[in-house]
Amino acid sequence: MVQINFANREIQCKVVYYGPGMSGKTTNLEVVHKKAPTSAKGELTSIATEGDRTLFFDFMPLDLGNIAGIKTKFQLYTVPGQVYYNSTRKLVLQGVDGIVFVADSQADKLDENVEAFENLKANLKEYGRDIEAIPMVLQYNKRDLPGAMPVEDLERKLNPLNLPYFEAVASTGEGVFPTLKALASLVLESINREKQGGAGIAAAAACATPAAAATRPAPQRPAAAATARPAAPAAPRRMAPQQQPVQRRPAARVRPQAAPAARTPRQSREPFAAGTATQPRVHRAKPRHQERAEPVHHAMRRPAGKVRIKERTDTARLVLTLVIAAVIIGAVGFLFMNYL
Amino acid sequence: MPKPTRQMSDTELRNSRLVFYKEDIQQIDSTLREFLSRSKSKAALLVDKDGHLITQEGSTEKTDTDTIAALVAGCFAATREMARILGEEEFSALFHQGRKDNLQLSLVGQRTILGVLFDDTTTIGMVRLYAAETARKLTSLFRKILGRSEAQCQSFGDEQTIGDGFSQAAADTLENVFGE
Repeated sequence: MVQINFANREIQCKVVYYGPGMSGKTTNLEVVHKKAPTSAKGELTSIATEGDRTLFFDFMPLDLGNIAGIKTKFQLYTVPGQVYYNSTRKLVLQGVDGIVFVADSQADKLDENVEAFENLKANLKEYGRDIEAIPMVLQYNKRDLPGAMPVEDLERKLNPLNLPYFEAVASTGEGVFPTLKALASLVLESINREKQGGAGIAAAAACATPAAAATRPAPQRPAAAATARPAAPAAPRRMAPQQQPVQRRPAARVRPQAAPAARTPRQSREPFAAGTATQPRVHRAKPRHQERAEPVHHAMRRPAGKVRIKERTDTARLVLTLVIAAVIIGAVGFLFMNYL
Repeated sequence: MPKPTRQMSDTELRNSRLVFYKEDIQQIDSTLREFLSRSKSKAALLVDKDGHLITQEGSTEKTDTDTIAALVAGCFAATREMARILGEEEFSALFHQGRKDNLQLSLVGQRTILGVLFDDTTTIGMVRLYAAETARKLTSLFRKILGRSEAQCQSFGDEQTIGDGFSQAAADTLENVFGE
């Protein structure tokens, strides 16, 4: 659920990339991390197996900056796509505000796409959420592969809800930003709509009961996406110079070095197989908490006299306990000596 | 507009959107500061179960608290699922022991988690004792926040609402950030 904090004038929204295994969810996030302006993006954290498959989730905070006086942050998550990770996949969906469903365009992946979509609906239902009431976009990924199905066929099979869709080749970055931009727009529009529905979003959101939330109108799809049905994006345009991300840090997600001749980049993510080490790990480009040389102990300050009194009381109790213990030990010793 | 004055069930508390006003955060921060000084812990984070950081106190300046919040929520969610599978209602506390620093996580009400970072200047017993007391105070505060009426929400004034230009400003910002 969107969290609104008027003390910091801040909104936080949770966006989840969902879809079948190997459809490109993590790749989407990696592209966002690579291309987003440095000032906007946080670290990309992955909880993945040794085989580099998502075990729990990937996470990246994205700070959109100040929107009408409100600092707006998106928390981007991916889920593990593999079928048998459903319990962890469901956990990531908790409190979701917007969903990007990343489908694999290849014909032989159609059943997996359909299954993942049904799984999404079922998992949302377990949280008492209706898929039609949540801002959502579809991304048909891997459009560059020879086995990619025509978009019309994918639409028939995967988009009965008439969601806005985008074609993408996430491995090259094509279509990644337009997808996220459309979804972010839907999420922010849903916040704005709640505001217009009452005296103010503060009242509407704070006072909304779940029943009221369930009856809110389905999110309006952005006109451009819904009507124009964007075709396969052309070669990615270059970002404006001021938006060029400065590569000050190495890529956050460090993939295992594969033998160059043995694998293509796409094949480098081997399917999860028996014998693959499953120990989770967190990749961090720059673990900030390890940077600090000496932690600042603000918490150790003693600002209130009350605290000092409390400490003195504790010390007195300790001394009293020790004295009593010494007396008891002495008495027992004395009696024991007399007995002997 | 909904009438939220009735007593809310636990499920409703879990599903309702949380909005925090200045007064709320001031009270929460004050409670956390008191907890830190009594338990002698280094830092305290209050995290929504969805993974959003609500507020923080103590020495967290150089820590990526957004990511920590997401991981704390994920950690707790996984533990809850384990509890469900094992037939336990909920594991309400988690403890991560490190070489220098330790992390204690405890459930606050139905939808928030208190994360406490502490070192060997205090003990796990002290932290648990005061964390339980703090959790009770915060739970009571959250019930008050979620039970506010519409009129009470409006009484906070225009400066604690989202302005009319939000939609257009959002479109402009998205164009700036995602325009290729």
